[in-house]
Amino acid sequence: MSDADDHRWLPPFCSLPTLFAVMLVAELVALIVVLAPGADGATLMRLGIVSVYLQWLGLLNAVVLCSLRGALDRLTPRSGLLIAWLVMIGVTTLAALLIQTMDRALALGLTGSGAAAARFVPANAVLCALIGAALLRYLFVIEQWRERVRAASKAQVDALQARIRPHFLFNSMNTIASLIRTRPADAERAVEDLSDLFRAALGASGARGTLGEELERVDHYLRIESLRLGPRLAVRRDLDALPRAYALPPLLLQPLVENAIHHGIEPLPEGGTLDLTGRRVDGGWEIAIGNPCPAQPVRRAGNGHAIDNIRARIGYHFGDRAALIAAPGDGCFRVIVRLPLESPMNVPAQ
Amino acid sequence: MKVLVVDDEPLARERLVALLGEIDGARVVGEAGSGAALLEAAPALQPDVVLLDIRMPAMDGLEAARHLAALEAPPAVVFCTAYDEHALAAFDVHAIDYIVKPVRAERLRQALDRARRYGGEQLRRAGGSGPERQRTHLCARVRGSLVLVPIGEVAYLQAEDKYVVIHHARGQVLIEEPLKDLEEEFGDRFVRIHRNCLVARDRLVGLLRTPDGRTLARLDADGVELEVSRRSLPGLRKLVKNL
Repeated sequence: MSDADDHRWLPPFCSLPTLFAVMLVAELVALIVVLAPGADGATLMRLGIVSVYLQWLGLLNAVVLCSLRGALDRLTPRSGLLIAWLVMIGVTTLAALLIQTMDRALALGLTGSGAAAARFVPANAVLCALIGAALLRYLFVIEQWRERVRAASKAQVDALQARIRPHFLFNSMNTIASLIRTRPADAERAVEDLSDLFRAALGASGARGTLGEELERVDHYLRIESLRLGPRLAVRRDLDALPRAYALPPLLLQPLVENAIHHGIEPLPEGGTLDLTGRRVDGGWEIAIGNPCPAQPVRRAGNGHAIDNIRARIGYHFGDRAALIAAPGDGCFRVIVRLPLESPMNVPAQ
Repeated sequence: MKVLVVDDEPLARERLVALLGEIDGARVVGEAGSGAALLEAAPALQPDVVLLDIRMPAMDGLEAARHLAALEAPPAVVFCTAYDEHALAAFDVHAIDYIVKPVRAERLRQALDRARRYGGEQLRRAGGSGPERQRTHLCARVRGSLVLVPIGEVAYLQAEDKYVVIHHARGQVLIEEPLKDLEEEFGDRFVRIHRNCLVARDRLVGLLRTPDGRTLARLDADGVELEVSRRSLPGLRKLVKNL
Protein backbone atom coordinates (compact mmCIF):
# COMPACT_ATOMS: atom_id res chain seq x y z
CA MET A 1 0.00 0.00 0.00
CA SER A 2 1.61 3.26 -1.04
CA ASP A 3 1.42 6.43 1.01
CA ALA A 4 -1.02 8.07 -1.41
CA ASP A 5 -3.52 5.34 -0.66
CA ASP A 6 -3.45 6.03 3.04
CA HIS A 7 -5.98 8.83 3.06
CA ARG A 8 -8.26 7.65 0.25
CA TRP A 9 -11.84 7.21 1.27
CA LEU A 10 -13.40 5.99 -2.00
CA PRO A 11 -13.05 2.26 -2.57
CA PRO A 12 -11.00 1.20 -5.61
CA PHE A 13 -13.75 0.23 -8.10
CA CYS A 14 -11.34 -1.48 -10.43
CA SER A 15 -10.14 -3.88 -7.75
CA LEU A 16 -11.40 -7.45 -7.94
CA PRO A 17 -13.14 -7.55 -4.54
CA THR A 18 -15.11 -4.38 -5.32
CA LEU A 19 -16.01 -5.59 -8.83
CA PHE A 20 -17.17 -8.85 -7.35
CA ALA A 21 -19.34 -6.99 -4.84
CA VAL A 22 -20.85 -4.93 -7.66
CA MET A 23 -21.61 -8.05 -9.71
CA LEU A 24 -23.15 -9.78 -6.73
CA VAL A 25 -25.42 -6.85 -6.01
CA ALA A 26 -26.40 -6.63 -9.69
CA GLU A 27 -27.33 -10.32 -9.74
CA LEU A 28 -29.34 -9.97 -6.51
CA VAL A 29 -31.25 -7.06 -8.00
CA ALA A 30 -31.86 -9.11 -11.16
CA LEU A 31 -33.36 -11.90 -9.05
CA ILE A 32 -35.57 -9.44 -7.17
CA VAL A 33 -36.76 -7.82 -10.38
CA VAL A 34 -37.67 -11.19 -11.91
CA LEU A 35 -39.27 -12.70 -8.81
CA ALA A 36 -41.13 -9.58 -7.63
CA PRO A 37 -44.95 -9.95 -7.67
CA GLY A 38 -46.48 -8.21 -10.67
CA ALA A 39 -43.47 -8.95 -12.85
CA ASP A 40 -44.51 -10.56 -16.10
CA GLY A 41 -43.58 -14.19 -15.66
CA ALA A 42 -40.54 -15.50 -13.75
CA THR A 43 -38.81 -17.39 -16.49
CA LEU A 44 -35.15 -18.33 -16.83
CA MET A 45 -35.17 -16.54 -20.13
CA ARG A 46 -36.24 -13.31 -18.45
CA LEU A 47 -33.70 -13.77 -15.64
CA GLY A 48 -31.00 -14.11 -18.24
CA ILE A 49 -31.97 -10.94 -20.05
CA VAL A 50 -32.34 -8.91 -16.86
CA SER A 51 -29.03 -10.25 -15.57
CA VAL A 52 -27.14 -9.32 -18.71
CA TYR A 53 -28.62 -5.84 -18.61
CA LEU A 54 -27.90 -5.26 -14.92
CA GLN A 55 -24.39 -6.73 -15.01
CA TRP A 56 -23.59 -4.47 -17.92
CA LEU A 57 -25.03 -1.51 -16.02
CA GLY A 58 -23.07 -2.39 -12.87
CA LEU A 59 -19.78 -2.82 -14.71
CA LEU A 60 -20.35 0.38 -16.65
CA ASN A 61 -20.86 2.27 -13.39
CA ALA A 62 -17.77 0.67 -11.83
CA VAL A 63 -15.59 1.59 -14.79
CA VAL A 64 -16.83 5.19 -14.81
CA LEU A 65 -16.32 5.58 -11.05
CA CYS A 66 -12.92 3.91 -11.31
CA SER A 67 -11.71 6.42 -13.87
CA LEU A 68 -13.19 9.32 -11.88
CA ARG A 69 -11.65 8.15 -8.60
CA GLY A 70 -8.63 10.40 -8.78
CA ALA A 71 -10.78 13.51 -9.23
CA LEU A 72 -13.34 12.45 -6.61
CA ASP A 73 -10.67 11.81 -4.00
CA ARG A 74 -9.64 15.42 -4.09
CA LEU A 75 -13.08 16.43 -2.78
CA THR A 76 -14.28 16.04 0.77
CA PRO A 77 -15.77 12.60 1.42
CA ARG A 78 -19.28 14.08 1.70
CA SER A 79 -19.36 15.93 -1.62
CA GLY A 80 -17.29 13.23 -3.30
CA LEU A 81 -19.81 10.57 -2.33
CA LEU A 82 -22.71 12.77 -3.45
CA ILE A 83 -21.10 13.33 -6.83
CA ALA A 84 -20.28 9.63 -7.20
CA TRP A 85 -23.93 8.89 -6.47
CA LEU A 86 -25.17 11.47 -9.02
CA VAL A 87 -22.73 10.09 -11.58
CA MET A 88 -24.17 6.61 -11.03
CA ILE A 89 -27.73 7.89 -11.54
CA GLY A 90 -26.64 9.80 -14.64
CA VAL A 91 -24.83 6.82 -16.15
CA THR A 92 -27.80 4.54 -15.43
CA THR A 93 -30.30 6.99 -16.92
CA LEU A 94 -28.25 7.40 -20.08
CA ALA A 95 -27.71 3.66 -20.37
CA ALA A 96 -31.43 2.99 -19.88
CA LEU A 97 -32.26 5.56 -22.56
CA LEU A 98 -29.78 3.97 -24.93
CA ILE A 99 -31.16 0.48 -24.32
CA GLN A 100 -34.75 1.65 -24.79
CA THR A 101 -33.88 3.39 -28.04
CA MET A 102 -32.13 0.28 -29.34
CA ASP A 103 -35.01 -1.90 -28.17
CA ARG A 104 -37.51 0.25 -30.02
CA ALA A 105 -35.41 0.31 -33.16
CA LEU A 106 -35.09 -3.49 -33.10
CA ALA A 107 -38.70 -3.93 -31.92
CA LEU A 108 -37.77 -6.66 -29.41
CA GLY A 109 -40.20 -5.39 -26.75
CA LEU A 110 -37.77 -6.14 -23.95
CA THR A 111 -38.30 -2.80 -22.19
CA GLY A 112 -42.06 -3.22 -22.07
CA SER A 113 -44.79 -1.51 -23.96
CA GLY A 114 -47.28 1.28 -23.34
CA ALA A 115 -47.28 2.57 -19.75
CA ALA A 116 -44.48 0.16 -18.76
CA ALA A 117 -42.24 1.53 -21.50
CA ALA A 118 -42.81 5.09 -20.31
CA ARG A 119 -41.80 4.00 -16.77
CA PHE A 120 -38.64 2.18 -17.88
CA VAL A 121 -36.09 5.00 -17.68
CA PRO A 122 -37.41 6.74 -14.49
CA ALA A 123 -37.72 3.34 -12.75
CA ASN A 124 -34.12 2.52 -13.66
CA ALA A 125 -32.94 5.86 -12.29
CA VAL A 126 -34.83 5.49 -9.00
CA LEU A 127 -33.72 1.89 -8.47
CA CYS A 128 -30.13 2.88 -9.21
CA ALA A 129 -30.39 5.79 -6.75
CA LEU A 130 -31.60 3.51 -3.97
CA ILE A 131 -29.22 0.64 -4.58
CA GLY A 132 -26.31 2.95 -5.36
CA ALA A 133 -26.79 4.84 -2.10
CA ALA A 134 -26.75 1.61 -0.09
CA LEU A 135 -23.76 0.21 -1.96
CA LEU A 136 -21.69 3.38 -1.72
CA ARG A 137 -22.48 3.68 1.95
CA TYR A 138 -21.41 0.08 2.54
CA LEU A 139 -18.16 0.45 0.60
CA PHE A 140 -17.43 3.75 2.32
CA VAL A 141 -17.86 2.27 5.81
CA ILE A 142 -15.66 -0.71 4.95
CA GLU A 143 -12.97 1.56 3.60
CA GLN A 144 -13.09 3.78 6.67
CA TRP A 145 -12.79 0.79 8.95
CA ARG A 146 -9.74 -0.48 7.06
CA GLU A 147 -8.26 2.98 7.26
CA ARG A 148 -8.78 3.09 11.00
CA VAL A 149 -7.11 -0.28 11.52
CA ARG A 150 -4.14 0.83 9.43
CA ALA A 151 -3.85 4.13 11.28
CA ALA A 152 -4.15 2.42 14.66
CA SER A 153 -1.38 -0.07 14.03
CA LYS A 154 0.85 2.57 12.53
CA ALA A 155 0.28 4.84 15.52
CA GLN A 156 1.05 1.95 17.81
CA VAL A 157 4.32 1.22 16.10
CA ASP A 158 5.22 4.91 16.09
CA ALA A 159 4.51 5.16 19.79
CA LEU A 160 6.58 2.09 20.49
CA GLN A 161 9.48 3.51 18.57
CA ALA A 162 10.58 6.56 20.46
CA ARG A 163 11.32 5.46 23.96
CA ILE A 164 14.61 6.15 25.59
CA ARG A 165 14.66 6.22 29.35
CA PRO A 166 14.87 9.81 30.63
CA HIS A 167 17.22 8.50 33.28
CA PHE A 168 19.63 7.41 30.59
CA LEU A 169 19.53 10.82 28.93
CA PHE A 170 20.24 12.79 32.08
CA ASN A 171 22.85 10.39 33.38
CA SER A 172 24.64 10.57 30.03
CA MET A 173 24.49 14.36 30.09
CA ASN A 174 26.00 14.28 33.56
CA THR A 175 28.74 11.96 32.37
CA ILE A 176 29.51 14.28 29.48
CA ALA A 177 29.55 17.33 31.75
CA SER A 178 32.09 15.54 33.88
CA LEU A 179 34.24 14.40 30.94
CA ILE A 180 34.46 17.86 29.40
CA ARG A 181 36.78 18.99 32.20
CA THR A 182 39.13 16.08 32.24
CA ARG A 183 38.82 14.07 29.00
CA PRO A 184 37.44 16.33 26.27
CA ALA A 185 38.06 13.75 23.52
CA ASP A 186 35.91 11.17 25.33
CA ALA A 187 33.26 13.81 25.90
CA GLU A 188 33.20 14.54 22.20
CA ARG A 189 32.73 10.91 21.30
CA ALA A 190 30.00 10.49 23.92
CA VAL A 191 28.10 13.41 22.37
CA GLU A 192 28.39 11.78 18.94
CA ASP A 193 27.23 8.40 20.26
CA LEU A 194 24.33 9.94 22.12
CA SER A 195 23.29 11.88 19.01
CA ASP A 196 23.19 8.70 16.95
CA LEU A 197 20.96 7.03 19.51
CA PHE A 198 18.57 9.94 19.64
CA ARG A 199 18.47 10.29 15.89
CA ALA A 200 17.20 6.73 15.74
CA ALA A 201 14.83 7.19 18.67
CA LEU A 202 13.30 10.28 17.14
CA GLY A 203 12.69 8.38 13.93
CA ALA A 204 15.06 10.50 11.87
CA SER A 205 16.97 7.53 10.49
CA GLY A 206 13.95 6.16 8.68
CA ALA A 207 11.73 3.13 9.19
CA ARG A 208 14.27 0.70 7.77
CA GLY A 209 17.82 0.03 8.73
CA THR A 210 20.23 -2.84 8.65
CA LEU A 211 21.41 -5.25 11.28
CA GLY A 212 24.89 -3.80 10.88
CA GLU A 213 23.63 -0.31 11.74
CA GLU A 214 21.73 -1.66 14.70
CA LEU A 215 24.81 -3.47 16.05
CA GLU A 216 26.77 -0.27 15.64
CA ARG A 217 24.08 1.55 17.57
CA VAL A 218 24.36 -1.05 20.32
CA ASP A 219 28.12 -0.40 20.40
CA HIS A 220 27.56 3.34 20.73
CA TYR A 221 25.13 2.74 23.53
CA LEU A 222 27.51 0.38 25.33
CA ARG A 223 30.34 2.89 24.99
CA ILE A 224 28.26 5.50 26.84
CA GLU A 225 27.22 3.03 29.49
CA SER A 226 30.76 1.84 30.09
CA LEU A 227 31.85 5.43 30.67
CA ARG A 228 29.16 5.64 33.28
CA LEU A 229 29.52 2.24 34.92
CA GLY A 230 33.28 1.91 34.55
CA PRO A 231 34.66 -1.53 35.35
CA ARG A 232 31.25 -2.75 36.53
CA LEU A 233 30.23 -3.37 32.93
CA ALA A 234 31.97 -6.10 30.96
CA VAL A 235 30.77 -7.10 27.51
CA ARG A 236 31.32 -10.38 25.68
CA ARG A 237 30.50 -10.22 21.98
CA ASP A 238 30.12 -13.06 19.52
CA LEU A 239 28.26 -11.48 16.64
CA ASP A 240 30.46 -12.10 13.61
CA ALA A 241 28.16 -14.75 12.15
CA LEU A 242 25.33 -12.27 11.61
CA PRO A 243 24.59 -10.78 8.17
CA ARG A 244 25.29 -7.07 8.47
CA ALA A 245 23.09 -6.13 5.51
CA TYR A 246 19.99 -7.82 6.90
CA ALA A 247 17.12 -5.28 6.83
CA LEU A 248 15.26 -4.57 10.03
CA PRO A 249 13.58 -1.61 11.73
CA PRO A 250 15.93 0.52 13.84
CA LEU A 251 16.04 0.18 17.63
CA LEU A 252 15.06 -3.46 17.69
CA LEU A 253 18.08 -4.67 19.67
CA GLN A 254 19.38 -1.60 21.47
CA PRO A 255 16.38 -1.37 23.87
CA LEU A 256 16.91 -5.02 24.80
CA VAL A 257 20.54 -4.31 25.61
CA GLU A 258 19.46 -1.23 27.57
CA ASN A 259 17.02 -3.41 29.46
CA ALA A 260 19.71 -5.95 30.27
CA ILE A 261 21.92 -3.24 31.73
CA HIS A 262 19.10 -1.46 33.53
CA HIS A 263 17.68 -4.54 35.23
CA GLY A 264 20.72 -6.82 35.23
CA ILE A 265 24.05 -5.05 35.55
CA GLU A 266 23.20 -1.75 37.23
CA PRO A 267 21.52 -3.17 40.36
CA LEU A 268 24.56 -5.38 41.06
CA PRO A 269 27.15 -3.61 43.22
CA GLU A 270 29.97 -5.54 41.55
CA GLY A 271 28.43 -5.30 38.08
CA GLY A 272 28.57 -8.17 35.62
CA THR A 273 29.07 -9.39 32.09
CA LEU A 274 26.68 -8.68 29.27
CA ASP A 275 26.63 -11.52 26.78
CA LEU A 276 25.80 -10.83 23.12
CA THR A 277 25.73 -13.75 20.74
CA GLY A 278 24.43 -14.13 17.21
CA ARG A 279 24.29 -17.35 15.24
CA ARG A 280 22.65 -19.13 12.37
CA VAL A 281 20.02 -21.62 13.50
CA ASP A 282 17.66 -23.88 11.67
CA GLY A 283 15.72 -21.65 9.29
CA GLY A 284 16.86 -18.31 10.62
CA TRP A 285 19.05 -16.15 12.80
CA GLU A 286 19.18 -16.04 16.52
CA ILE A 287 20.48 -13.13 18.58
CA ALA A 288 20.75 -13.65 22.33
CA ILE A 289 21.28 -11.03 25.01
CA GLY A 290 22.23 -12.40 28.40
CA ASN A 291 22.82 -10.68 31.71
CA PRO A 292 23.30 -11.72 35.32
CA CYS A 293 20.45 -10.70 37.59
CA PRO A 294 20.31 -9.62 41.20
CA ALA A 295 19.49 -12.31 43.77
CA GLN A 296 16.37 -10.47 44.89
CA PRO A 297 14.87 -8.78 41.87
CA VAL A 298 14.67 -5.06 42.40
CA ARG A 299 11.28 -3.81 41.32
CA ARG A 300 12.04 -1.07 38.91
CA ALA A 301 9.42 0.84 37.01
CA GLY A 302 8.82 -0.42 33.51
CA ASN A 303 9.91 -3.98 34.19
CA GLY A 304 9.13 -6.09 31.16
CA HIS A 305 7.77 -3.13 29.28
CA ALA A 306 10.63 -2.96 26.79
CA ILE A 307 10.28 -6.65 26.02
CA ASP A 308 6.55 -6.38 25.26
CA ASN A 309 7.27 -3.34 23.17
CA ILE A 310 9.90 -5.07 21.03
CA ARG A 311 7.73 -8.16 20.73
CA ALA A 312 4.89 -6.04 19.33
CA ARG A 313 7.24 -4.39 16.84
CA ILE A 314 8.74 -7.68 15.72
CA GLY A 315 5.20 -8.95 15.20
CA TYR A 316 4.27 -5.90 13.15
CA HIS A 317 7.31 -6.06 10.88
CA PHE A 318 7.98 -9.80 10.60
CA GLY A 319 4.66 -11.48 11.41
CA ASP A 320 4.95 -14.88 13.04
CA ARG A 321 8.17 -15.79 11.26
CA ALA A 322 10.08 -14.01 14.00
CA ALA A 323 9.86 -14.28 17.76
CA LEU A 324 11.17 -12.86 20.97
CA ILE A 325 11.78 -15.33 23.74
CA ALA A 326 12.51 -14.28 27.31
CA ALA A 327 14.28 -17.00 29.24
CA PRO A 328 14.81 -16.38 32.93
CA GLY A 329 17.49 -18.74 34.17
CA ASP A 330 19.30 -19.42 37.40
CA GLY A 331 21.03 -16.18 38.35
CA CYS A 332 20.83 -14.84 34.83
CA PHE A 333 18.33 -13.65 32.26
CA ARG A 334 18.41 -14.18 28.51
CA VAL A 335 16.37 -12.61 25.75
CA ILE A 336 16.47 -14.31 22.38
CA VAL A 337 15.40 -12.64 19.15
CA ARG A 338 14.73 -15.09 16.36
CA LEU A 339 14.54 -13.70 12.83
CA PRO A 340 13.72 -15.39 9.52
CA LEU A 341 16.62 -16.28 7.24
CA GLU A 342 15.65 -13.69 4.67
CA SER A 343 14.30 -10.40 5.92
CA PRO A 344 10.86 -9.63 4.49
CA MET A 345 11.97 -6.00 4.63
CA ASN A 346 14.73 -6.65 2.08
CA VAL A 347 12.25 -5.96 -0.71
CA PRO A 348 12.89 -2.35 -1.73
CA ALA A 349 10.18 -0.02 -0.45
CA GLN A 350 7.91 1.45 -3.11
CA MET B 1 31.96 22.47 55.88
CA LYS B 2 32.79 18.79 55.43
CA VAL B 3 31.14 17.14 52.46
CA LEU B 4 30.88 13.45 51.63
CA VAL B 5 30.06 12.56 48.01
CA VAL B 6 28.11 9.35 47.37
CA ASP B 7 27.38 8.04 43.88
CA ASP B 8 27.89 4.67 42.25
CA GLU B 9 29.19 6.28 39.06
CA PRO B 10 32.83 7.37 39.27
CA LEU B 11 32.38 10.16 36.73
CA ALA B 12 29.41 11.60 38.58
CA ARG B 13 31.51 11.71 41.76
CA GLU B 14 34.38 13.25 39.86
CA ARG B 15 32.19 16.07 38.65
CA LEU B 16 30.72 16.83 42.07
CA VAL B 17 34.18 16.86 43.61
CA ALA B 18 35.37 19.26 40.88
CA LEU B 19 32.41 21.57 41.44
CA LEU B 20 32.86 21.48 45.21
CA GLY B 21 36.51 22.47 44.74
CA GLU B 22 35.29 25.78 43.37
CA ILE B 23 32.96 26.52 46.26
CA ASP B 24 34.48 28.42 49.17
CA GLY B 25 34.09 26.78 52.51
CA ALA B 26 33.30 23.34 51.14
CA ARG B 27 35.79 20.55 51.72
CA VAL B 28 35.39 17.05 50.36
CA VAL B 29 36.26 14.65 53.16
CA GLY B 30 35.49 11.48 51.28
CA GLU B 31 33.74 9.64 48.47
CA ALA B 32 31.63 6.51 48.62
CA GLY B 33 30.36 4.30 45.81
CA SER B 34 27.41 2.73 47.60
CA GLY B 35 24.98 3.16 50.44
CA ALA B 36 26.81 0.58 52.51
CA ALA B 37 30.16 2.31 51.96
CA LEU B 38 28.59 5.59 53.03
CA LEU B 39 27.28 4.12 56.27
CA GLU B 40 30.65 2.57 56.95
CA ALA B 41 32.55 5.81 56.37
CA ALA B 42 30.16 8.36 57.82
CA PRO B 43 30.72 7.76 61.56
CA ALA B 44 34.47 8.28 61.27
CA LEU B 45 34.43 11.14 58.76
CA GLN B 46 31.58 12.98 60.50
CA PRO B 47 30.53 14.97 57.42
CA ASP B 48 28.27 18.00 57.75
CA VAL B 49 26.65 17.34 54.40
CA VAL B 50 26.18 14.18 52.35
CA LEU B 51 25.56 14.58 48.61
CA LEU B 52 23.66 11.38 47.95
CA ASP B 53 22.70 9.76 44.67
CA ILE B 54 19.31 8.08 44.86
CA ARG B 55 19.67 5.20 42.42
CA MET B 56 22.45 2.94 43.53
CA PRO B 57 22.78 -0.83 43.53
CA ALA B 58 22.01 -2.93 46.63
CA MET B 59 20.90 -0.09 48.91
CA ASP B 60 19.49 3.03 47.34
CA GLY B 61 20.08 6.57 48.57
CA LEU B 62 16.66 6.91 50.17
CA GLU B 63 17.29 3.95 52.44
CA ALA B 64 20.87 5.01 53.20
CA ALA B 65 19.51 8.39 54.33
CA ARG B 66 17.12 6.67 56.73
CA HIS B 67 19.98 4.74 58.29
CA LEU B 68 22.07 7.90 58.62
CA ALA B 69 19.44 9.21 61.00
CA ALA B 70 20.68 6.64 63.52
CA LEU B 71 23.97 8.54 63.89
CA GLU B 72 24.57 10.65 66.95
CA ALA B 73 25.04 13.78 64.84
CA PRO B 74 23.45 12.98 61.50
CA PRO B 75 24.67 14.98 58.51
CA ALA B 76 22.39 17.05 56.30
CA VAL B 77 21.41 15.09 53.23
CA VAL B 78 21.20 16.61 49.76
CA PHE B 79 19.92 14.19 47.14
CA CYS B 80 21.32 14.28 43.64
CA THR B 81 19.54 12.38 40.94
CA ALA B 82 19.30 12.25 37.20
CA TYR B 83 15.56 12.31 36.91
CA ASP B 84 13.04 13.69 39.36
CA GLU B 85 10.57 10.82 39.69
CA HIS B 86 11.94 10.38 43.22
CA ALA B 87 11.49 13.96 44.42
CA LEU B 88 8.54 13.33 46.69
CA ALA B 89 10.10 10.27 48.28
CA ALA B 90 13.22 12.30 48.95
CA PHE B 91 11.26 14.87 50.89
CA ASP B 92 9.60 12.05 52.81
CA VAL B 93 12.96 11.26 54.33
CA HIS B 94 13.38 14.97 55.01
CA ALA B 95 16.21 15.85 52.74
CA ILE B 96 17.59 19.34 53.09
CA ASP B 97 17.50 19.77 49.35
CA TYR B 98 17.17 17.92 46.12
CA ILE B 99 19.20 18.67 43.02
CA VAL B 100 19.09 17.16 39.55
CA LYS B 101 21.99 16.03 37.40
CA PRO B 102 23.84 17.45 35.61
CA VAL B 103 24.31 19.57 38.71
CA ARG B 104 24.82 23.29 38.25
CA ALA B 105 27.48 24.99 40.36
CA GLU B 106 25.12 27.71 41.61
CA ARG B 107 22.45 25.17 42.48
CA LEU B 108 25.00 23.17 44.46
CA ARG B 109 26.06 26.31 46.30
CA GLN B 110 22.42 27.01 47.24
CA ALA B 111 22.00 23.49 48.55
CA LEU B 112 25.11 23.80 50.70
CA ASP B 113 23.83 27.13 52.06
CA ARG B 114 20.60 25.48 53.08
CA ALA B 115 22.52 22.64 54.69
CA ARG B 116 24.60 25.15 56.66
CA ARG B 117 21.44 26.85 57.89
CA TYR B 118 19.42 23.81 58.85
CA GLY B 119 22.03 21.13 59.64
CA GLY B 120 21.24 17.48 60.08
CA GLU B 121 18.48 17.78 62.62
CA GLN B 122 15.85 17.42 59.92
CA LEU B 123 16.94 13.88 59.29
CA ARG B 124 16.87 12.94 62.95
CA ARG B 125 13.31 14.15 63.43
CA ALA B 126 12.19 12.16 60.45
CA GLY B 127 13.79 8.94 61.64
CA GLY B 128 11.27 6.11 61.88
CA SER B 129 8.21 8.23 61.22
CA GLY B 130 5.51 7.81 58.66
CA PRO B 131 4.62 4.91 56.40
CA GLU B 132 7.72 4.19 54.42
CA ARG B 133 9.06 1.63 52.03
CA GLN B 134 10.60 -1.55 53.30
CA ARG B 135 14.27 -1.26 54.01
CA THR B 136 16.67 -3.88 52.71
CA HIS B 137 18.86 -3.65 55.80
CA LEU B 138 18.51 -2.97 59.50
CA CYS B 139 21.05 -0.60 60.92
CA ALA B 140 22.47 -0.54 64.43
CA ARG B 141 24.91 1.82 66.07
CA VAL B 142 27.73 -0.06 67.74
CA ARG B 143 30.43 1.95 69.51
CA GLY B 144 30.11 4.95 67.21
CA SER B 145 29.99 3.06 63.93
CA LEU B 146 27.05 1.69 62.01
CA VAL B 147 26.43 -2.02 61.55
CA LEU B 148 24.21 -3.11 58.69
CA VAL B 149 22.30 -6.35 58.77
CA PRO B 150 20.68 -7.47 55.51
CA ILE B 151 17.05 -8.18 56.25
CA GLY B 152 17.38 -11.62 54.67
CA GLU B 153 19.92 -12.66 57.30
CA VAL B 154 17.70 -11.87 60.26
CA ALA B 155 16.41 -15.02 62.01
CA TYR B 156 14.33 -13.41 64.71
CA LEU B 157 13.78 -10.15 66.58
CA GLN B 158 13.30 -10.10 70.31
CA ALA B 159 12.24 -7.11 72.39
CA GLU B 160 14.18 -6.50 75.61
CA ASP B 161 13.37 -3.44 77.70
CA LYS B 162 13.57 -0.49 75.32
CA TYR B 163 15.70 -2.31 72.76
CA VAL B 164 15.10 -4.92 70.13
CA VAL B 165 17.76 -7.59 69.74
CA ILE B 166 18.39 -8.62 66.13
CA HIS B 167 19.48 -12.25 65.98
CA HIS B 168 21.13 -12.72 62.62
CA ALA B 169 23.48 -15.06 60.80
CA ARG B 170 26.60 -13.47 62.28
CA GLY B 171 25.49 -12.66 65.83
CA GLN B 172 23.28 -10.17 67.59
CA VAL B 173 22.94 -6.40 67.66
CA LEU B 174 20.66 -3.97 69.46
CA ILE B 175 18.48 -1.40 67.79
CA GLU B 176 16.19 1.21 69.26
CA GLU B 177 13.09 0.63 67.22
CA PRO B 178 9.74 -0.52 68.60
CA LEU B 179 8.97 -4.13 67.67
CA LYS B 180 5.52 -3.00 66.55
CA ASP B 181 6.98 -0.71 63.87
CA LEU B 182 9.21 -3.50 62.61
CA GLU B 183 6.21 -5.82 62.43
CA GLU B 184 4.34 -3.24 60.38
CA GLU B 185 7.20 -2.63 58.01
CA PHE B 186 8.21 -6.26 57.48
CA GLY B 187 4.89 -8.01 58.03
CA ASP B 188 5.32 -10.14 54.94
CA ARG B 189 8.67 -11.43 56.13
CA PHE B 190 8.21 -11.91 59.89
CA VAL B 191 5.47 -13.43 61.96
CA ARG B 192 4.71 -12.61 65.57
CA ILE B 193 4.92 -15.60 67.89
CA HIS B 194 4.92 -13.75 71.19
CA ARG B 195 4.38 -10.29 72.60
CA ASN B 196 8.13 -9.78 72.50
CA CYS B 197 9.18 -11.79 69.46
CA LEU B 198 9.04 -11.76 65.64
CA VAL B 199 10.36 -14.73 63.65
CA ALA B 200 11.38 -14.85 59.98
CA ARG B 201 8.74 -16.94 58.24
CA ASP B 202 11.27 -18.82 56.13
CA ARG B 203 13.24 -19.86 59.21
CA LEU B 204 10.33 -21.51 60.95
CA VAL B 205 10.48 -25.33 60.79
CA GLY B 206 7.86 -26.48 63.25
CA LEU B 207 6.10 -26.32 66.60
CA LEU B 208 6.63 -28.58 69.56
CA ARG B 209 4.94 -29.12 72.90
CA THR B 210 6.80 -29.27 76.18
CA PRO B 211 5.67 -31.65 78.97
CA ASP B 212 4.45 -28.68 81.01
CA GLY B 213 2.03 -27.62 78.24
CA ARG B 214 3.91 -24.72 76.65
CA THR B 215 4.43 -24.51 72.89
CA LEU B 216 7.79 -23.72 71.34
CA ALA B 217 8.59 -22.62 67.79
CA ARG B 218 11.63 -24.32 66.32
CA LEU B 219 13.88 -22.40 63.93
CA ASP B 220 16.22 -23.97 61.43
CA ALA B 221 19.23 -22.15 62.89
CA ASP B 222 21.19 -24.21 65.46
CA GLY B 223 18.16 -25.63 67.18
CA VAL B 224 16.79 -22.35 68.49
CA GLU B 225 13.44 -22.79 70.22
CA LEU B 226 11.31 -19.82 71.16
CA GLU B 227 8.21 -19.60 73.29
CA VAL B 228 4.90 -19.15 71.50
CA SER B 229 2.14 -17.18 73.23
CA ARG B 230 -1.34 -18.62 73.42
CA ARG B 231 -2.66 -15.71 71.42
CA SER B 232 -0.40 -16.27 68.41
CA LEU B 233 -0.78 -20.04 68.47
CA PRO B 234 -3.81 -20.53 66.15
CA GLY B 235 -2.35 -18.35 63.38
CA LEU B 236 1.03 -19.99 63.72
CA ARG B 237 -0.44 -23.51 63.53
CA LYS B 238 -2.02 -22.63 60.22
CA LEU B 239 1.26 -21.22 58.95
CA VAL B 240 3.26 -24.30 59.97
CA LYS B 241 0.71 -26.62 58.38
CA ASN B 242 1.31 -24.90 55.05
CA LEU B 243 5.08 -25.22 55.24
